[in-house]
Amino acid sequence: MTCDEAHELITALVDHEALDPERSSLEAHLKECAHCRFALEEERALKQAIRGAGQGIYAPSELRDRILSDPRIFPGKSRPVARWRDYVWPIPHLARPALAVALLLAIALPTFVFLKSRSEPIAIAALETYDLFLRGELPVRGTENTNEIVEQLTRAVGGHFHPMGYDLTAMDLWPVAGLVREIDGRKILVAIYQGKGGTIFCYTFLGSEADAPPNAARFFDASKKKMNFYAFSSGGVNAVLHREGEVICILASEMPMEELLVLAQSKAKPS
Amino acid sequence: MVHLDHLYRVGFHLAKHQDEAQELVQETLVRALAACDQFNPGTNMKAWLTKILYNLFFDRYHQRKRWISTDDPAYEESDYWKGLPVENPGPESHVLSRELNAQITDVLRRIPGEFRAPIVLVDMGDFTYEEAAEILSCPIGTIRSRLSRGRKLMQQYLRPYIGSEQERSKRK
Repeated sequence: MTCDEAHELITALVDHEALDPERSSLEAHLKECAHCRFALEEERALKQAIRGAGQGIYAPSELRDRILSDPRIFPGKSRPVARWRDYVWPIPHLARPALAVALLLAIALPTFVFLKSRSEPIAIAALETYDLFLRGELPVRGTENTNEIVEQLTRAVGGHFHPMGYDLTAMDLWPVAGLVREIDGRKILVAIYQGKGGTIFCYTFLGSEADAPPNAARFFDASKKKMNFYAFSSGGVNAVLHREGEVICILASEMPMEELLVLAQSKAKPS
Repeated sequence: MVHLDHLYRVGFHLAKHQDEAQELVQETLVRALAACDQFNPGTNMKAWLTKILYNLFFDRYHQRKRWISTDDPAYEESDYWKGLPVENPGPESHVLSRELNAQITDVLRRIPGEFRAPIVLVDMGDFTYEEAAEILSCPIGTIRSRLSRGRKLMQQYLRPYIGSEQERSKRK
């Protein structure tokens, strides 16, 4: 394979769209070609930067008002919108089917997503936040102050437990935000790390190893930590769960599962 | 609103102006409501809405040759990032990140639309090649080649900002 032939394939590899046998040929070429390895690294960095730039752009409140005051979307409501709840609350007036769809599109769906009762394992349900965050649909106020994240999250659970705080700076990952998710009455603390090394979510909640999804692959670290690790994936996100006392920790990322397992093993503290 | 930010993001980079982006998103929702019987529950609503938005953009702007090149005197510098409130500017890295985001937004506006659209859909919208091909009504191979060429173009503009520290220091 020549470098010219490799260029488009590098793009596909960066996007996880390269298929065998092209992928194998490219990987063989990359082993021998420093120039293309650099091109791969550069394109990955660019993709990450573009994604980051997109995440900083949100629909302005002015647009939400325009939509809510558009009579074609909300018939009979042409006056400017004063408050969201003015439109969410008077459901008896919203009888037309089109309006129902509008509500589904604009308002009801997110409510459903966040409040519905979960039949799936909590570990799988928690990973939804990862996907939402990457799609820019999870409003998170970022901070670069690690202590602030830990304090806020710990306060959110009345000090009953703390978010797992890992130093991932060696991987060029830094804590950027924290949030609390409640699923079926259980609070989950989420610490978000981002950087050139990608994105890693660290979920912490009170539970047991029974919270691992039934189809998770169990690995017992017999040599060092003498503890179980459960590997599973959902929606393209890889995750590794382990238990430290009464606290369950899940590391989730798009990085390869083998690397995520090694990371979890290196950071875990036996109970 | 589940997909509102996403739609605005795509509209913003296609139309290049905040007002036009807002109008695009608003009209997209109107069209989606009018065609809601064509949506199959359980399928990808985000992709469906994005395709409506793109078609709307194509109809309104592309056919009026409103793709603005860098040579176009009507081209305006992006004011989105400049317009953001400067609250809590944070440490240097935060400022650099804002600068990088502003650069990326501007560079996206400078590259031709045929390259910009796949980049916005795949890199910002997290669509697969197949989904992007469906939205843009073109073959998957075209998505791949345009992404490759588009990113190369962007790299030319962004070299001083993106890449390994080692490489950046070599360039200094």
